[in-house]
Amino acid sequence: MASSKKLISREEWEKRLNNVKIRKEDTNKLVMNFLVTEGYVEAAEKFRMESGTHPDIDLATITDRMAVKKAVQCGNVEDAIEKINDLNPEILDTNPQLFFQLQQQRLIELIRNGKVEEALEFAQEELAPRGEENQSFLEELERTISLLVFEDTSNCPVGELLDISQRLKTATEVNAAVLTSQSHEKDPKLPSLLKMLIWAQNQLDKKAAYPCINDLSNARLEDPTF
Amino acid sequence: MPSATVNKPRPSELLSRLTSAEPEVKVRALREVKNQIIGNRTKKLSFLKLGAVPAVAGILADSIDDVTDNNNCNNDSNNAINILVQSAAALGSFACGFDAGVQAVLDAGAFPNLLRLLANPNEKVVDAVARALRMIYQSKLAPKYDFLQQKNMEFLISLLNSEKENVSGLGASIITRSCETNLEQKALFDAGILRKLNSLLEGGSLSQRDASLESLATIFRNNPEVISKFAGPEIGRPLSSIIDLAKDRYPRTRLLACMCLIVIRNASPHFLQDIGIKTKLIHILLELLDDPGQVGDEAPFAFSSLIAQKEDLQKLALEANAIDKLHHHIKKGSLHPRRYEGILLALDDMCSKLESCRSKFLSLQVLNLLADALTDYNAGVRAAACICLKSVTRSIKNLSAGYFMNETIVIPLVQLFLDPSTSVQVAALGATSNIVVDFTTRKSIFVQCGGMKQLVQLAKSMESSVRSNALWALKNFVFQADNRLKEGVFSELTASLLSSLIRDPEPSVQEQALALVRNLVDGCINLIEFVFAEDGLILGAIGRQLQCASKAEIGIQGMYALCNVASGNEFHKEAVMQLLFTQMGDKNQSFVIKFLQSNDSRLCTATVWTIVNLTCPSSPGAPGRLEKLRNAGIVSQIKNMVNDPCVDVKLRVRTVLGQSMAFGDN
Repeated sequence: MASSKKLISREEWEKRLNNVKIRKEDTNKLVMNFLVTEGYVEAAEKFRMESGTHPDIDLATITDRMAVKKAVQCGNVEDAIEKINDLNPEILDTNPQLFFQLQQQRLIELIRNGKVEEALEFAQEELAPRGEENQSFLEELERTISLLVFEDTSNCPVGELLDISQRLKTATEVNAAVLTSQSHEKDPKLPSLLKMLIWAQNQLDKKAAYPCINDLSNARLEDPTF
Repeated sequence: MPSATVNKPRPSELLSRLTSAEPEVKVRALREVKNQIIGNRTKKLSFLKLGAVPAVAGILADSIDDVTDNNNCNNDSNNAINILVQSAAALGSFACGFDAGVQAVLDAGAFPNLLRLLANPNEKVVDAVARALRMIYQSKLAPKYDFLQQKNMEFLISLLNSEKENVSGLGASIITRSCETNLEQKALFDAGILRKLNSLLEGGSLSQRDASLESLATIFRNNPEVISKFAGPEIGRPLSSIIDLAKDRYPRTRLLACMCLIVIRNASPHFLQDIGIKTKLIHILLELLDDPGQVGDEAPFAFSSLIAQKEDLQKLALEANAIDKLHHHIKKGSLHPRRYEGILLALDDMCSKLESCRSKFLSLQVLNLLADALTDYNAGVRAAACICLKSVTRSIKNLSAGYFMNETIVIPLVQLFLDPSTSVQVAALGATSNIVVDFTTRKSIFVQCGGMKQLVQLAKSMESSVRSNALWALKNFVFQADNRLKEGVFSELTASLLSSLIRDPEPSVQEQALALVRNLVDGCINLIEFVFAEDGLILGAIGRQLQCASKAEIGIQGMYALCNVASGNEFHKEAVMQLLFTQMGDKNQSFVIKFLQSNDSRLCTATVWTIVNLTCPSSPGAPGRLEKLRNAGIVSQIKNMVNDPCVDVKLRVRTVLGQSMAFGDN
């Protein structure tokens, strides 16, 4: 079957690549944006000193945000809530979904530590009212409580709630909410750019054979195959 | 080890700690109160009941002068700062999205103190206070801000000029909440506020942009003068920044920008009228329906404000598959009630005028969907479903085919007649009024479902809007219905009820009652007996009401009712004559003359029709009646109308005169 795709040689491709001018300041901004959004304070600080790139957010606020994230990741949910409220009391007051998720995490931690009575009391006092306000919260609450029913939690249908990944999920949500409240975008730009690169390559694949990047970690050009 | 203890002090214990003399204890207690209530409506309520708000407001008031400069870093000043910050934050949380909390904060006298603290040297204090005030201004209960006072305008400007987001955001919130009249809008414009807001649009942060959009929309609302001053001389430029924001990456910004553009469109015929912007707005709003949060809940309402009463936009929206998309969202189910209500109302607006939209909607087999909405637990949703149904049932094609007169719809609709909410009742009656105009033989379904009896019950309601709408539905129900149905309605209503409704204190009720009689006696001579039942109760009521009709519509319906009676036999015609003339006793003019001289041609037509029936040559008593009418000056009045500009009047006048000449009269 004859291919109607255009063939672009490595030489031609590299020539075209060289003709695209990208400013150093822009790539620096991308790196800084990544470090800041993900919360790598020290790296951001060092990068600022070395490259002269200004972070688009006050580095002090990153420390606060990272403290919150870490507290959630360690399962210290009450501490995390207090810290968020110190940072910005509006976040949890105007975000019922997030607040519920944090309260749910608290319940999970109580169950994980075998504090059954406390867990039930907590569920009744704090979470049941949320369930009354919102049908989907009620369903989530029931799922969480059902953890108490199973003796072997590693095998039960809702076992994933006890997994560390649940904490990380909540931590990511919290991080995003704090960033948004600081009028900062919650996603770093770099991963989106990489996604766009892969998408563009997929599109071009339909029309041409060209040196493409298959391994993002080294960005090496691989020769076009027919 | 993760700590997840639940050992919290009881609320009453916390409140007593608030009164402690030790500042550190106080700060900790304040912080604990704050942390317990944030996000937790139930806790806010219980703390409220324990008197927490006055307690915290009191602490704020006591500490107001404790932080005088920003330089002290000792323990005492730290405590003082923290007391102010935590108490302001707690008050702000009580006020956040919770009207009872807002009221409590205002009642506790905290408002003036919070305002004062905006000038505090400490940044954290100002931040917390500004946030608390912003929460208050998001509520309808916020105190009205008097923009027309110079001092207040200056203060507002200083807020907007602040670099702190919470403070400039407060300025914008005050405008959005309090600016109502054209005068206030102009005052804000004259003070240069619009320029300031525009600069926040272009250079501000996300929250500043959003706040500006809301404030701008408030200032533009129904004020074409301010809009044109804003948009030109640099024609298009400030508007183009708003148009750009309609394509912003954040959904909330897109929604607020669209809402601002819609306000501009609706207020001023000069701006944003080209098809490009119309199409863009439609597409953006339809796409915003996909947002899972509050933005998606509010999007359909914005869509409604764009298309309501505007056929051109409804057509464009139809072409953009709006109906399919709205339908798709309802089908998904488990909707937030606000969103559900909004989508139903959007569908109502789409179907309000265009048959093409109704056809499209009905082609999607939506009866079950609407029936579900009619039985929703939320009153707003039920009312919206009825309103939507009313628009959809304007489709004459489908009405004639009897599409709506089936149990799927009629049963839940009739149940809504007993709804605890008056607005739901009235909306259900509105939809019913259309559905019962059924040209097939299936009206009996409505009786079987108990609908007719319910309507009669509602005609006795304490609410006048319910009474008049129930009568409207009955009027439509008996329109060209068969005798058996009409007799059923009449025996359920009874002559005494109907006559008292004709004499109801509310004009709208009187009008509908008279129209109901008109439809009842129309068509068959036997039915005319209704008005003579119980010693002519109804006929008498009609006569008395026509004598003192407060608006033309009452006269029109009453005269047509008499006209239908006068189409009967001799006895009927004589009874009408007696009615027309009995009232003349102590008045120098019969209401007949008054009606004939009216500016309202519909009233003239109805009156002349009655005379036509009274003087129709085939009845033996006609000459005698004609003589009486002539003597009362009615015939000469009619002669004067022989060249009336209204065709209906002219034709009927000529009929009367033709009939009178048959008796050898000139």
